[in-house]
Amino acid sequence: MKFLFKILKDFPAYLWSGWGAMASTLLFIAFWDLGNQVYGNLVLPSPLETFKTLYTMLQDKDVWEQIDITLYRASVGFGLSMLFGSILGLIAGFFATASMMSRPIVTILVGMPPIAWIVLAMIWFGMGDETVIFTVVVASFPIVFVGALQGTRTLDGDLKEMAESFDFPWHMKFFDVYFPHIFSYIFPAWVSGLGMAWKIVIMAELLATSDGMGAELAIARSQLDTPTALALVTIMITSLMFIEYIILEPIKREVELWRA
Amino acid sequence: MANNNQEEKLHATNHYLYYPDEENLPPYLAYGFRPIFLLLAPYLVISMILWGFVWSGFIHIPFMDNPIQWHVYEMIFGILTAGVMAFLTTGLPELFPGMVPFVGKRLKYIMILWIAGRVSFWFIDITGVYLTAILNLAMLGWLIWFAKDAVLDKLQRHASIGYTLVTLFVIESWFFSSVLGWSTTNSMDILKVALGANVVLILLAMRRVNMEAVNELMEDKEIDDTYISRPPLTNLAIFCVSLFTIVEFYYPHNSALGWIGLGTGAAILAITSDYNLKDKFILNQPFVIYFYSIYILFFIGYGLMGWDILLGEPYDINSFRHFITAGGLSIAYLMVMVTIGWIHTGRHLTSNIYTHLMVFFIILASSMRGLIPFFQEYSAQLYLWSALLWTIPFILYIKVFFKFLLSPRADGVKG
Repeated sequence: MKFLFKILKDFPAYLWSGWGAMASTLLFIAFWDLGNQVYGNLVLPSPLETFKTLYTMLQDKDVWEQIDITLYRASVGFGLSMLFGSILGLIAGFFATASMMSRPIVTILVGMPPIAWIVLAMIWFGMGDETVIFTVVVASFPIVFVGALQGTRTLDGDLKEMAESFDFPWHMKFFDVYFPHIFSYIFPAWVSGLGMAWKIVIMAELLATSDGMGAELAIARSQLDTPTALALVTIMITSLMFIEYIILEPIKREVELWRA
Repeated sequence: MANNNQEEKLHATNHYLYYPDEENLPPYLAYGFRPIFLLLAPYLVISMILWGFVWSGFIHIPFMDNPIQWHVYEMIFGILTAGVMAFLTTGLPELFPGMVPFVGKRLKYIMILWIAGRVSFWFIDITGVYLTAILNLAMLGWLIWFAKDAVLDKLQRHASIGYTLVTLFVIESWFFSSVLGWSTTNSMDILKVALGANVVLILLAMRRVNMEAVNELMEDKEIDDTYISRPPLTNLAIFCVSLFTIVEFYYPHNSALGWIGLGTGAAILAITSDYNLKDKFILNQPFVIYFYSIYILFFIGYGLMGWDILLGEPYDINSFRHFITAGGLSIAYLMVMVTIGWIHTGRHLTSNIYTHLMVFFIILASSMRGLIPFFQEYSAQLYLWSALLWTIPFILYIKVFFKFLLSPRADGVKG
């Protein structure tokens, strides 16, 4: 509770410190505008035109439905990998044998390009939700798994011993000794897993489904409708930035504070 | 001795190590800032009232048929030299404790040079551009020579200010060569470049004034925290301002410039995030609010300019520019005048109804001037009234501070 209160208290100052990021984003948009002036509207529409397209798109109910579909797939996929990745990672971390064994498997999972997973998933599940969700899970599961594994592997032996010798009850041992440490590893892993999920969901949709934002992107591509394509990209990036910087980053800061 | 001094914190309460022993020094020549503030405040009041009458059409002053250009010139360079003079003669002996304060007879000669620069400016149709150019360039040149220690300092702690002054000198020379027909560049465009360099200078100077004043204030009020204005944020803002200035010079109506303008506004506003201290809340301290308002006005100015460029014609960008000049820069100069006026006359940094009103009227006047595009039908009244209201802070300054400037330091220290 105190933790939550502190995050909320620091939030305005944190939000205000985002003006620097805003400045560099705007400079980036200026650079984009320059690209438009050099290569023309067909190749790269101007930022202003893109934002205008975006504005009209957001008036359309259908677009919101597509966003909803994508959001559903990403959340289910990420939720599954968060759940299983964390649990399995924690378990693997507690047993040296398990962690040794899991290493090469994680390497295989990470090393396999997502696009190859999509092809396999399309054969296994056909064109639909399952394919997308499966791809998201395989892509972000290893990230979460490794984070959880690291968290438990790096637990300080002395602290463990201290907790043992004081004979703490199990809940105290868990919440006051193990949890802050593990959480400071696992939480950043969730954040990067989420980023991965958000990217993969679009890619999988583009190749394997007829609805969702990825599919919209595919339609925009086939019609050479660059403003719409860029507007869609803008939606994806803004939503990711919102989740990452407004929701997760303040928590992450608090979590990692004690490590510094 | 020098070693001891380096370990001390360089607060505004520290003093020079040596004070020149010149006899019969009148108080108004006892330190660099005194005569210049005594001259600057009335000068600003009188000249702005004159400009107000000129813009609203009551009087006509024949400035070589280009009053706007000369108005901009004087508001940038004429006042710049005064502000920089006060800032350097007061600040440098503190930042470099071995330096001897600049006082007495030599100070008087420099003041005469500044006055001569102003007189030659207002009588430019009679005395000619050459004289104005020589006198004003000499003044800025002297300031650079005076600041040479800062540039040559091995640690380069404050060299950026020196380099910016040299840049301004080059720009001013360029302006005069354009007026004299030696250079084909449009002189108004050069003045816009000068404004950019001026904003950079203010950002550099304010970072230092800010740190000294805010920390001094917190010490006074026993607020146990430290305010640090981080260089990377100021540098980002300086980068953005420079980029905006350069792009505006070459492509004044390019849409990319609009985005750069918005980015510049954001970068300047980012500087204020340093006021959110780790433990203590200081945003309710009047002086923090005053300093804050400088950045807010810069933000509004650059933001509106960027927005205006993105919208396309008709361009009202020069009205919005007044948020930067009549607004942000003016409060920055005023803050230098007020903080030095308190601290270096041996008093505590104090806020009262007068200082509140000073800042308030500048914000009001610059908003009236800057928002003219939205109230075109009242433009004549707004031109006049914004100019008149803008003078009130300096009238108040005369009322509050002139007695301090004309008498010895309250704490008995020399200077």
